[in-house]
Amino acid sequence: MTRHRALIAAGVVAACLMVPLVIHKDYQLSILFRIFLFAGLGLAWNLVGGYAGQLSLGHAAFFGIGAYGLSAFHDRLHLPVGLALVLGVLTAVGAAVLIGRVAFRLRGPYFALATIAFAEVLRLSAKNLQSITGGDVGIEVPGLFGGDPGRWFYWASVGFAALAFAITALITRARFGYSLLAIREDEDTALACGIDTTRTKLYALVISAALTALGGALWASLYLYIVPDQVLAIDISNEIAIVAMLGGAGTLLGPIVGAVLLETASELFKNVFKEAHLVIYGVLIVIVVLFMPEGIVGTVTERWRHRPKHGTKPGTKHETKP
Amino acid sequence: MEAPLWSAVQAVLNGLLTGSLYALIGMGMALIFGVMRIVNFAHGAFLMLAMYATYELFDRLHINPYLGFLAAAALLFVIGFASYELLLRRIAERSDFMQILLTLGLSLIITDGVQLIFGADYRQVNIPLLDKNYHFGSHITLNAPWLLSFAITLVLAVGMFLFVMKTRFGRALRAIAQNRYAAALIGIDVQRTQAIAFGLGLAAVGVAGGLLLPVFYLYPGVGDQFTLKAFVIVVLGGMGSIEGAAIAGIVLGVVESLTSLYWGNEWALVVDFAIFLLVLSLRPSGLFGSQRV
Repeated sequence: MTRHRALIAAGVVAACLMVPLVIHKDYQLSILFRIFLFAGLGLAWNLVGGYAGQLSLGHAAFFGIGAYGLSAFHDRLHLPVGLALVLGVLTAVGAAVLIGRVAFRLRGPYFALATIAFAEVLRLSAKNLQSITGGDVGIEVPGLFGGDPGRWFYWASVGFAALAFAITALITRARFGYSLLAIREDEDTALACGIDTTRTKLYALVISAALTALGGALWASLYLYIVPDQVLAIDISNEIAIVAMLGGAGTLLGPIVGAVLLETASELFKNVFKEAHLVIYGVLIVIVVLFMPEGIVGTVTERWRHRPKHGTKPGTKHETKP
Repeated sequence: MEAPLWSAVQAVLNGLLTGSLYALIGMGMALIFGVMRIVNFAHGAFLMLAMYATYELFDRLHINPYLGFLAAAALLFVIGFASYELLLRRIAERSDFMQILLTLGLSLIITDGVQLIFGADYRQVNIPLLDKNYHFGSHITLNAPWLLSFAITLVLAVGMFLFVMKTRFGRALRAIAQNRYAAALIGIDVQRTQAIAFGLGLAAVGVAGGLLLPVFYLYPGVGDQFTLKAFVIVVLGGMGSIEGAAIAGIVLGVVESLTSLYWGNEWALVVDFAIFLLVLSLRPSGLFGSQRV
């Protein structure tokens, strides 16, 4: 069964990789890039926010560190691009350890507030430390791919989402994943069962941060130029969290569904609402919170599980898990 | 060596004046958190809404903002009451995860909704009072609008505190904050009381918004910084403690003002959050006050 699902997943990834054979326009590819990128970011967030149940609203910190790591290590220290990328991800891991040490001592809303505060401290510091980050003037980001960048960025985003998906799938089958779920359900009980909750949460955050930093670097490299108010903004933190929660926090497919829905909606309504496109996010959030508290995937699977065993099947579309 | 001392005194006074408005905003959030355990991520968005309401009154009907703020407060009370009854009430028993998400969604709708209606332009009101300054000695100058808003805030903050501590309704609020199930058992209409509390918390924000309008540029995103400041204030003051939030607001105003003086304006917010993180990690119950609402 597991092998069966892995084959389906591999098939889906292969199909996604072939898309540039059909779609040639850079603009359309860039929309797909956004969808896959945020699917990957949502999956990364999901490890902490969904499976471990720790509501992080500060993932822009890791996103921004990945973006600034790539550009600062390359631009300021003249390191090769690949090395700069890796160092950026490692810096994000270091930041995750630091943030986790402080924030994981807090629960509920306090944790969420602490993560916001960390991201904001980073954003404001990046604005002020001009020698490293270029401040509000910005800094150039090296291009990760030469040749036909539109295609390469698309492929990279598919690869990124696939990596995040594979890591999540492996974790949910491992002891580690069950520990995370136990922490989400009841942290004190998990502790009583012998789970080192602080360390488990910290590992989840570290993996999540590394993936998020990778996504940030990818994003930055596409735009070639970054400023703090863009890559370290609360809006980024919110979007990452919203993608996952909309689709279904703590589900494997949720962040992907969320990313497709949110990014498509924001693209469709871009011309109607112009800069005010976040209205759509707000409306989607309120609808999901009020009517689908488990997110789209969560609620649909729940309904499917409780469907009447005999008689008419409900017409709701169900998600097939790869 | 006289001048630096005077500028420090001036900075502290300015901080007190700004801090009084922070205090009001923080008290609103503390009231909401204390009674409902809801962290209101839409706090700044509602503040911005109050500023636009006051602005429209000034722009269309020529009502002075120092009167218009009362209308903004009344409007915000109604909006708060309605949003509780229509939205927040339905998720009162859910996780704080969902409550945070809902208020976050509301904040996005309000902010971008206002942008859709009014555009992203910066606006400002011009009233003669803005140019009036009072000089104390040769070194201290205080701006009239800030003094006026300080006086109004002081009266309202004391009034709010007395209302919560001395009236029957205030006692009901504190009973819910202590134990909502027990409060229901002794005959308090918990849902209705919470709706009114949410309205009152937003009314405080409405007052603050109206008073901020003359001294601030107005644009749809103006509230965001105040949401973050309100978080800092309620954590500093002890989540849910109204008098703690009042003191914390003033302290924050003074700290920001002194940071601006010595390190530069751009570090003021960094210091805010540094204090916030220090308090969260060392003393999560807050620095001032332990009484929850």
